[in-house]
Amino acid sequence: MANLSVNICGVNFKNPVIAASGTFGFGKEFNEIYDIGVLGGISTKGLTLEPRLGNPTPRIAEGYGVILNAVGLQNPGVDVFLREDLDFLKSKNIAIIANVAGRTIDDYAGICAKLDGKVDMIELNISCPNVKCGGMAFGIKPESVAEVTRAAKGALQKTPLIVKLSPNVESIAANALAAQKGGADCVSLINTLTGMVVDIERRRPLIANNTGGVSGAGIKPIAVRMVWEVCQAVDIPVIGMGGITCAEDALEFIIAGARAVQVGTANFTDTLAMPKIIGGLNSWLDNHGIADISEICGVLRLNG
Amino acid sequence: MREQKVKILENGPIAAGIYKMRFALPEKTDGLFCGKFVNISVGDGAHLLRRPIAICERCEENDLQTVTICYQLKGAGTQAMSRAKVGDELACVLPLGNGFRLEEGQRRVALIGGGVGIFPMVSVLKEYAGTGKDFNSYIGFRNRDAVCMADVFSSLSARAEIVTDDGSFGKKNNAVAAFLAEYESVKPDVILACGPTPMLRALKAGLKERGIAVPCYVSLEERMGCGIGACLVCVCKKSGKEENARVCKDGPVFEINEVEI
Repeated sequence: MANLSVNICGVNFKNPVIAASGTFGFGKEFNEIYDIGVLGGISTKGLTLEPRLGNPTPRIAEGYGVILNAVGLQNPGVDVFLREDLDFLKSKNIAIIANVAGRTIDDYAGICAKLDGKVDMIELNISCPNVKCGGMAFGIKPESVAEVTRAAKGALQKTPLIVKLSPNVESIAANALAAQKGGADCVSLINTLTGMVVDIERRRPLIANNTGGVSGAGIKPIAVRMVWEVCQAVDIPVIGMGGITCAEDALEFIIAGARAVQVGTANFTDTLAMPKIIGGLNSWLDNHGIADISEICGVLRLNG
Repeated sequence: MREQKVKILENGPIAAGIYKMRFALPEKTDGLFCGKFVNISVGDGAHLLRRPIAICERCEENDLQTVTICYQLKGAGTQAMSRAKVGDELACVLPLGNGFRLEEGQRRVALIGGGVGIFPMVSVLKEYAGTGKDFNSYIGFRNRDAVCMADVFSSLSARAEIVTDDGSFGKKNNAVAAFLAEYESVKPDVILACGPTPMLRALKAGLKERGIAVPCYVSLEERMGCGIGACLVCVCKKSGKEENARVCKDGPVFEINEVEI
């Protein structure tokens, strides 16, 4: 049995596999299928100060090896999360990452203040492509990435801050550096790529929101490349995600430099995807005589 | 609900563009009931989303537990499903959703089904067969080629009216109009319905127009992500509230006035 535990910004994860925001709710439903206490952590459904109803339906579509979603940050609001969901997650003894979004800089600071000291980490969603005016707007330019990061960091005394980066930008490495300069303790990437699927009979986009965020197996090579680029640019820890379906996929990200990974879409394809990935990491490390997962973090050697 | 690999026993066409698949469950599964659904992989690796499909029939013989689902070939995903062979295994989570439940006092039951919405109605008939319920079924298809399971409705209902949009089988009518025309003589204690959204809208409008206050439960269809209530992809609006319901977890069966259709 290899040691799978990792420490990120002082937070202990029993393994590097974290449920990605938006695919896993607050964990209760998947816990009806398996004990989610086996996971390294969970990044919650994106939280906002006030409850949000989200976008009209349909909110999901498929492409070859990918899906598109435009849920639009439907959530019960941070107060309901603190009152009704946090205790359950705490009982599971996994790292709890609260994913948060806002319309204004003040929203981000406000929600961070409410969560400070109550969760293990906060993940700033400045890259949600599915909501008008909010989220994404802050995630595009390095200047605004730094500004919103500074505001969030200023509202936090205890809880380490992750900034989740958008791939729909000129340079994700520049934005990662901006987040680091703004005080981020960690960055996570990639959020979804903006896409569209057309219903040729109706001559309309299949998703009610017209565009949606592309995720799933098909985006993995793009995500690995971006994680590698960001790992070269920053000194803070990086959490990688984008199309991870199996242990071998997770290892690509870890070898490229990610300290941990998040798994999203694969939970839809197989509700047991994450426990299988954790088991697969263990076997792979054992088979390769590697005692600790940290030994292969960032060991990528370039050709030529 | 359980994640399991189900083994296909039968998979073939029963009407134009409609396939029936019967599979065996490897693990003893509780809670299978009419109106619930399964979320099943199409098995080709390219389609990452599973397909949520209503249970049409369940069966327990000796130690063998089987489930039958019927699905329409709509796109590449269901086309892939139709190519699955006897003996193949598909990943599946089941049972999901709340299902149709009839109360003791609800003896006279009207069933209204359109298109693939007829299959949850079949599950109700099979579930409650021999329990003293009196079913009146109103079942609509596009045309003669789409007609299937008409014999099930005829044999298990006190009266079954099978209609088609073009009159090529039965009367030229739709299921809702056929039901409303007979409402006064049937006077059901409860109405159960499943079908395309325009059909359910017509039913809601028809009941309101005639002041019919009999409880009416409808099964909704929506594109789904996880199928278990976590991702908030398949929602509908609760009537008169600034709140959504999850079709997969809070439904798919709702009282017709409880949600916006």
